[in-house]
Amino acid sequence: MKRSYRGVILLSVVLFLNIVCTQYVVNHYFHEKYELVLVFALLNVLLFPLALWIYKKEVRR
Amino acid sequence: MDNEAGKNNKVPFEEDNYTHNIHKNNERQLDRRGFLKTMVGAAGVFAVSTLPWGGLAAKELMGFGQSSHPKKKIADVQALKVGEAVEFHYPGDHESALLIRLGDNKYKAYQNACTHLKCPVFWSREEDQLVCPCHHGFFDPQSGKPTAGPPRRALPEVVVEIEGGAIYATGVKRYET
Ligand code: FES
Repeated sequence: MKRSYRGVILLSVVLFLNIVCTQYVVNHYFHEKYELVLVFALLNVLLFPLALWIYKKEVRR
Repeated sequence: MDNEAGKNNKVPFEEDNYTHNIHKNNERQLDRRGFLKTMVGAAGVFAVSTLPWGGLAAKELMGFGQSSHPKKKIADVQALKVGEAVEFHYPGDHESALLIRLGDNKYKAYQNACTHLKCPVFWSREEDQLVCPCHHGFFDPQSGKPTAGPPRRALPEVVVEIEGGAIYATGVKRYET
């Protein structure tokens, strides 16, 4: 079996983006930029299906 | 009594390693797949945890959370001489603020929790500045901007109005970076 870290790396990137988005959500909330809060919250939510998709792809290989 | 009877004749194998209850082949290993699963789960937790913030923001955008600041009387014009300051609470009872009369017709009010670590800021007439005693932070009374010390952000300004010989607070200016 060939060793592949691709899935792990991709999911690490996703989690990193999660952290960044969460941080922005909170900061924009306190700066009362509510539109941006919604944008980043949505991004954060969309990252979950992406993670799931990466996982499925990685498992099927 | 003999030892075989103690086993009740029902133990079907030599129990010597206490691992017979591990059935899956790799149960004791954290394999890559399991790790990936955990990562996906973490992404899910992140997604769920931002939902309340999104909800609050949406509420705010639709105007429900509109904390319409009430109009509140601070003091009478007579009672406040030029160069003096008075403390009041606005908009809530636990948010202290400071009104300074800078000129005959010039009033400035700020929420006086220091933007460094929330110590109460006071008005120093001698120094013509707002002073935070905690770590020697100084603020410009004209704009609320920090002039020295650790604070980096301006004090939030309270909008004031003069009406019939009294001073009223009517709102808090939006926080700007
Ligand atoms: S709390 Fe005001 S300077 Fe630190």
